Amino acid sequence: MKGAYLRTCCAPRSLRFFLRCVLVFSSRGGTRRPAPKKRGFSGSPLHAWLASLAVKYAPRAPRKKPRPRVARDGSQTRPVASALLVFIAVGVIEQGCTRASGSDDAGKIHIVFKHRPLVGNASVFRERLADFRRAHPEVELTTEVLPNVADITHQYYFTALAARSRDIDVFVADIIWIHEFSRAGFLRDLSSEFPPADIKRDFIEGAADAVIADGRTFAVPLYIDVGLLYYRTDLVPQPPRTYDELEAFAKTAKYKDPSLSGYVWQARQYEGLICNGFESIWGHGGVTTQGDRVTLDTPEARAGLDFLRGLIVHGTSPASVTSAMEEESRRVFEQGRAVFMRNWPYAWTEMQKEESPVRGKVGVAPLPTITGDPGFSALGGGELVINAAAPESHLAASIDLVRTLTSLDANIAFAIANGQPPPRKAAYEDERLKTQAPFIASLEPVVVRARPRPVTAYYNMISDVMESEFSAIVTGIRTTPVAFGRAQMAIDRITQ
Amino acid sequence: MTRARSEDTRCYFFVLPAVIVIAAVAVYPMIPAVWISLRRVIVVFHEDHFVGLSNYAFLIHDPRFWTALGNTAYFVLVAVTIELLLGLGFALLLHTSFRGQKFFRVAILIPWAIPTVVSAKMWAWIWNPEYGLVSRLLPGSEMNWLGMPGYAMHAAILVDVWKTAPFVALLLLAGLETIPVDLYKAAIVDGASPLRIFFSITLPLLRPTIVVVLVFRTLDAFRVFDAVYVLTGGGPANTTETLSIYAYKMLMRAGDFGYGSTLAVVTFLCVMAISAIYIRLLGMPTRNIRI
Amino acid sequence: MTSRSRAGLVLAVIAGASFCIGPFGLQAITSLTHDSDLSHPGLPGALTLDHYKSAVHEQPFAHIVRNSLVVASAVTLASLAIAAPAAFAIAKLRVRGKSVLLGATLAISMFPPIATVSPLYLALRRVGLLDTLPGLTIPYTTFALPLALWILTGFFQDIPSELYLAARVDGCSMFSAFRKVLLPLAMPGIATAAILTFIFAYNEFLYALTFLSSPDKRTIPVAISLFAGEHTEPWGEIAAASTLATLPLVIVAIIFQRKIVSALTAGSVKG
Repeated sequence: MKGAYLRTCCAPRSLRFFLRCVLVFSSRGGTRRPAPKKRGFSGSPLHAWLASLAVKYAPRAPRKKPRPRVARDGSQTRPVASALLVFIAVGVIEQGCTRASGSDDAGKIHIVFKHRPLVGNASVFRERLADFRRAHPEVELTTEVLPNVADITHQYYFTALAARSRDIDVFVADIIWIHEFSRAGFLRDLSSEFPPADIKRDFIEGAADAVIADGRTFAVPLYIDVGLLYYRTDLVPQPPRTYDELEAFAKTAKYKDPSLSGYVWQARQYEGLICNGFESIWGHGGVTTQGDRVTLDTPEARAGLDFLRGLIVHGTSPASVTSAMEEESRRVFEQGRAVFMRNWPYAWTEMQKEESPVRGKVGVAPLPTITGDPGFSALGGGELVINAAAPESHLAASIDLVRTLTSLDANIAFAIANGQPPPRKAAYEDERLKTQAPFIASLEPVVVRARPRPVTAYYNMISDVMESEFSAIVTGIRTTPVAFGRAQMAIDRITQ
Repeated sequence: MTRARSEDTRCYFFVLPAVIVIAAVAVYPMIPAVWISLRRVIVVFHEDHFVGLSNYAFLIHDPRFWTALGNTAYFVLVAVTIELLLGLGFALLLHTSFRGQKFFRVAILIPWAIPTVVSAKMWAWIWNPEYGLVSRLLPGSEMNWLGMPGYAMHAAILVDVWKTAPFVALLLLAGLETIPVDLYKAAIVDGASPLRIFFSITLPLLRPTIVVVLVFRTLDAFRVFDAVYVLTGGGPANTTETLSIYAYKMLMRAGDFGYGSTLAVVTFLCVMAISAIYIRLLGMPTRNIRI
Repeated sequence: MTSRSRAGLVLAVIAGASFCIGPFGLQAITSLTHDSDLSHPGLPGALTLDHYKSAVHEQPFAHIVRNSLVVASAVTLASLAIAAPAAFAIAKLRVRGKSVLLGATLAISMFPPIATVSPLYLALRRVGLLDTLPGLTIPYTTFALPLALWILTGFFQDIPSELYLAARVDGCSMFSAFRKVLLPLAMPGIATAAILTFIFAYNEFLYALTFLSSPDKRTIPVAISLFAGEHTEPWGEIAAASTLATLPLVIVAIIFQRKIVSALTAGSVKG
């Protein structure tokens, strides 16, 4: 019964798919050029075999009379299995067809652009891509999305680029990968199209430093991210300038309402902890790079991390920060349960939503420092890069795509639509940004002071070391001198 | 005699596909991994040269490796024990008849059916000290499971137990159902107590299945990655870093392919040793095959 | 059964069921809760279907579920088709090197998957199967094979050899004895192996992410991972998508579970 049911369900669909595939193939058969090896699934023997399977099962299935069954159980396996086979074959062939029709055959240049999932108002981004498509009728642009989890995406690119994959043309890379990827030879040198001098002139300093390696440009900044101090305007008289002020304000607010948390930030063992750690080190007057050497074990750095640990010990920060990432902090703060929060600009957009309980009670300030000067934020963000192994014939169009998406206009449009600070200096002077995204425009003083995390090819190696040592400090497993000693030793071994 | 020999050759056709698949697909990626583990390969620095066993020599003195091995062993020991006991309980429950049994049979599969990445996130949500279920049920007890050394590992173990106890239960249930009912009937006629029946009939006859369960659960638990990685990222301070996570970080984050592969090979060897011990102690799952 | 043990049974069932579906239920509630209620302690006020709408709207969800189903069915069929005859031969025929084969199959599932990603990526590219569903099916089948083989070997072992011999005496060929007599009897094992294999393939993430790139080939775990923004985590949508993704599996589980039960109640002979 079940088998027959499945069969009748599947047959018309499968027949349709099958016919479609036959059509596609027969029409392509005569004119197909020998070897676009790139995505060559269409000609493989496997494909032929699957096609023959479909021939064998699909058309015949509905005509078959129910055969007499052995009275034993399990005799149903046959029809169920063949129905499944048809289903699979059809699924597979259909996939094959879609890909085949998308390859370079039609004389078009096929550009693959990989990016992160879109945030905010995605239509603005799509419009830009549509503009590009209109300007380049000879190009077929495919966009493919990769997850936002930095480690997983890094692993994907690492696997594909180390294998010299030609299936990626342009992609969005995290700011901390550029030097690593360029050193490995994964990225195309863009110095002639985007001269380093121009990049330094047009983009904010930290972002420019991150994309220039050995005096050559390897990427163009798409957007940036900076760490900010969020505070509750109804609980604090003014934004704190020093760490002492921050602790004192938090204490006063907590005294009035003991259910409040003082200061929430991110201390789970992950990249965000490093950002929080560096911001505190810089705020205590530390310098993290000297020439090419990453210097970690300094008195200022120890003071910076001791301060973070102290926040938890003194109760200014809840113990839960040691497992928090951005969203955990944001939700606590947004529910009105914390006085201060360290977070990126995206949290502002979230807190301006109608249902947000703290809407209208939130202020943003530069991070505090020990001296009272505005603090230094860790600089994050995304960069557009071109795969060095991509076909030469794709280069011109790829470069134009990068240009389209990183122009001043694009910068401003994305900033307004997505709430991410633009990397171009000029964007902050622009009237459109000032009127339509005043919050982003107001971030300029923070943005220009933002510092990149150590800009080296082995950043990912040292961040792996620092992550665990920072985590050991904030959870109280190791004291700062011990942890820094270990970290410095491990870093020196890598960079030797 | 001739008949037997022709049978002998023909019966290899039954195993041929399996052999081909194993040789062509499974062994294939392992060989390069073993080869790379004997080299120093760091893509970023364009380094790629043969170093013999020096990666392995470094591993012996690498404290992080030993911590990871200890974490992994602890995880496997605790998680697999609980899973086996819990799974056995579920299987026995499912084996008795009661109303709603069909519903329970499907319900028990749900944890196994949810992608690990999602279920780990789900549990992280449940444990959240500020707004998680635990703090909703017990207001005032702001336990920070995931951020405290010593607790985080147990949180990860619970996720693994929740996720895979159904797997164990299903396998054991299938094993239970092949035990002939007559044996039970005879035992009841003889007046054996339920406990006696369990230890003298159920458990011995279930042994082959238990071996399969133990071997496969240990294999999987020893390579645990998703559940822990999503939950804690190996933190705090690497106290939940397992061998797979260490290997992952070396391979894909640090880009140290040589040492990363070494870690993978060593993980492989550990798992191999453990399964050998199981099989030595409990016998092969099939009675007439000796190893 | 005494009333006390009956009560104990009921308690155990309730405890077991709530342990298993409790978190899932929580996820289902989350998927129906307004964003603003999510981080409140306490039960949600009003329910909403918004998360489902936007989960389905943002990605071609039906297509993605279909991809996952295609891959998982193919893997289940292929690995059972390969494992069942091999298990039969190991359990019932005089094959030399049985234990070597069983050991070797086991060994392939001992390698941490992460170390096999790069070599497999290169291999798939060489044969032109990168970014195709078969390119995913083949490695999955291989890594699902050990479990299927071991489970089935145990089950074939438990079927009395007399049945096989009787079938041969009656004139069945080796293959038809396997297919007509032994295979139906091993149904509980086959169904168990099928469920476990199917779910493994349905849920795998690492290979699916690395080997497939075009949006129209995405599988469910990858699709779910795409909901997260760079910092944001739209928990409502993720919960909605994963609740939806669980439904086909529940249906598959019900189908195969029936197989297990019906094969047993058919009154087949057991040793």
